[in-house]
Amino acid sequence: MKTKKLIPYFLVAPYIAHFLLFVAFPVVFSVILTFHQWNIISPMKYIGLANYTRLFQDKFFSQSLANTLIFLAIHIPLQIIIALLLAEALNQKIKFRGFFRAAFFLPVIVSGVVVTILWQQLYGFDTGLFNKILTALGLGRIGWLVDPSWAMPSIAIMATWKNVGLYIILFLVGLQTVPAHYYEAADLEGATHWQKFFRITLPMINPTIFMVVVLSTIGGFSLFIEPYVMTGGGPLNSTLSAVLYIYKQGFFYYHMGYSATLGLFFALLILSVVAIQKKFIEKDK
Amino acid sequence: MRKQLLIFSFSALIILLLLSCGTKSERKSNKILYWSSNNTQEIDFAAYIVNEWNKQNNPGKITFQPVPEGQSSEEIILAAVVGKTTPDVYSNMWQGDVEDYARAGVLVALDTLKGFLNFIYSRCDSASISEVTSPDGHIYQIPWKINPIMLMYNKHIVSGMGLKEPPANYGQFNFASEKFKEENIDSHGYVKRWFGYSEVLVTWWQRFFDFYPLYLAASNGAPLIKDYKAAFDNKYAVEVFSFLRNLYEHNYFAKERLSARQDVFLSDIIASRFTGPWEILHADKFKPQGFDYGFTHMPVPDEHKGPVYTYGDPKNIVMFKTCSNPQLAWDFIRFMIDKKNDLKLLELTNQLPRRKGLMSDPVFAEYFIKNPKMIEFAEQSEYVRGTDPYPNLTEVFDIISQEYEECVIYGKKSPEEAVHEAARQVNLLYIK
Repeated sequence: MKTKKLIPYFLVAPYIAHFLLFVAFPVVFSVILTFHQWNIISPMKYIGLANYTRLFQDKFFSQSLANTLIFLAIHIPLQIIIALLLAEALNQKIKFRGFFRAAFFLPVIVSGVVVTILWQQLYGFDTGLFNKILTALGLGRIGWLVDPSWAMPSIAIMATWKNVGLYIILFLVGLQTVPAHYYEAADLEGATHWQKFFRITLPMINPTIFMVVVLSTIGGFSLFIEPYVMTGGGPLNSTLSAVLYIYKQGFFYYHMGYSATLGLFFALLILSVVAIQKKFIEKDK
Repeated sequence: MRKQLLIFSFSALIILLLLSCGTKSERKSNKILYWSSNNTQEIDFAAYIVNEWNKQNNPGKITFQPVPEGQSSEEIILAAVVGKTTPDVYSNMWQGDVEDYARAGVLVALDTLKGFLNFIYSRCDSASISEVTSPDGHIYQIPWKINPIMLMYNKHIVSGMGLKEPPANYGQFNFASEKFKEENIDSHGYVKRWFGYSEVLVTWWQRFFDFYPLYLAASNGAPLIKDYKAAFDNKYAVEVFSFLRNLYEHNYFAKERLSARQDVFLSDIIASRFTGPWEILHADKFKPQGFDYGFTHMPVPDEHKGPVYTYGDPKNIVMFKTCSNPQLAWDFIRFMIDKKNDLKLLELTNQLPRRKGLMSDPVFAEYFIKNPKMIEFAEQSEYVRGTDPYPNLTEVFDIISQEYEECVIYGKKSPEEAVHEAARQVNLLYIK
């Protein structure tokens, strides 16, 4: 009887051990770190709230947050509009539908680094394909990655291209759950295609839209690979994302205490944004 | 029965976990573990040295392995220090990291070992020794090898422009760059080829390939940091910033990153680059037929007088305190860097040992006859600097990089403002 009682504990023990070692301990340790100065190789030094004071005076961190918000402001609407339009198109009975669905999803499974290096070539100022096309059309060249005002939008465009396939699939699932008889009733009333889209489709897939917003927000906040590989955070720190800055503090300068403080603050920020979004979803339901 | 089985499985798991964690006490006092760099040539060198040592001494005393793979060897060493799994001897330590490790108390002060000081004074000049002497007066590293940064240029392009010699000073460099640009700009204003190129990344170590060697060249090897203060708020740094800024402003250097495609130097996209002797093996292997290249010193201000210094990119040997037999480890290091084995290093890796009189010593003469391209580097090796023996150098170079980007690449600040601001921030860094 006793053995029977022990078996469940034994079965969950590996997960509990993993959780304690790789989740709970790092979280608790990083909170402790926020009150210390530590460069890994020397002993930790208790510094009270100094890391928090520094955080609120750190112009680079403010800039990295602003950059991340700029990225989100471009990336999320762009991603939703494009994904929705493409999902709507791919939900129709068109030729080669299966091929297009697969083709749009392909960038999602390609390595982020590979995509980034490819787009770096396309964005080249003197040698890139995009500027060659612009010049052929009689337009001026754009400093996609070398002009501080263009660099973050360029990254947002690339990230949208890379991720849009995933959201097309989500929207497709949403679109296929809309009952067909709603459209049939609208047809009888003589509704146009756009009227059906705005009056039936959009309200019915609202939960999917919010899910896409939440996923894009969390994904967007973790912007790292693209600026790390393409621009290193430049030009003039215009693509320095919050995660890249936290990484630099931790693994370039070994400011582990400060890096943990930035990480904690940033995690709370994401949590707040997602909580607000969740409120909206619940309100909508 | 089932209960016994459970207890047995659980115990076996715990024992396996405990066994998988090595302990320091496993290391025997008469065994030395040596970590070399993990490039093919240096692995060959390490294998040769260890084999020779073990043949001449009690077999099996020294074992070696390349530094484990990681994003960088610096990261691996840091992880090893934290995990207390450092080797006894490591031979690819960036000089700029040593002071941080010395302060953390993980390195052996080599000057306390018998015979060290006599050896080091016979091998190195006084400038090299003072460069590796910590502010606490001890020496924690042995200057081992260098890869001086020089100007690599395409001989056909340079002679094709009617120049008898590669550009030696800023005026000549600008003249050649302008001429090259005129020949390589199309009707839309596209520059198809550039006279030079340096990565525009703000990453701190990128400055070892542009600002820092140029600064050392302009200033006759002046320090960046002295007495825990910025020593670069001077006319030399301003001249270097102005020179580089002019290159980007006039599109003589590309602002975009060219590194992700085929070798831009060997494919004639750029005519020159600041680089080290490691390019020789690569260039000789992949150069197209008829391609010819050479090396010369870094460009200097027009009025420059005296020898031209550069950054030597030194990699040094350190001994960690986890070593249980420092005297044996030191005997091995001394064997590894004796004259005969320094020649072996040159032959196998094309990297220069940091020792005085390299060019005048007959032991190395035959090597330089066989490898004439290395002569420029060997001559330059008399005038190289590493980094200053102060902590937080990564941050120092990062601060310089930030200002470099604003001033040199984007022209948002004047060279004077940028240099002054970088110096101010570095001074603040050392006050903290």
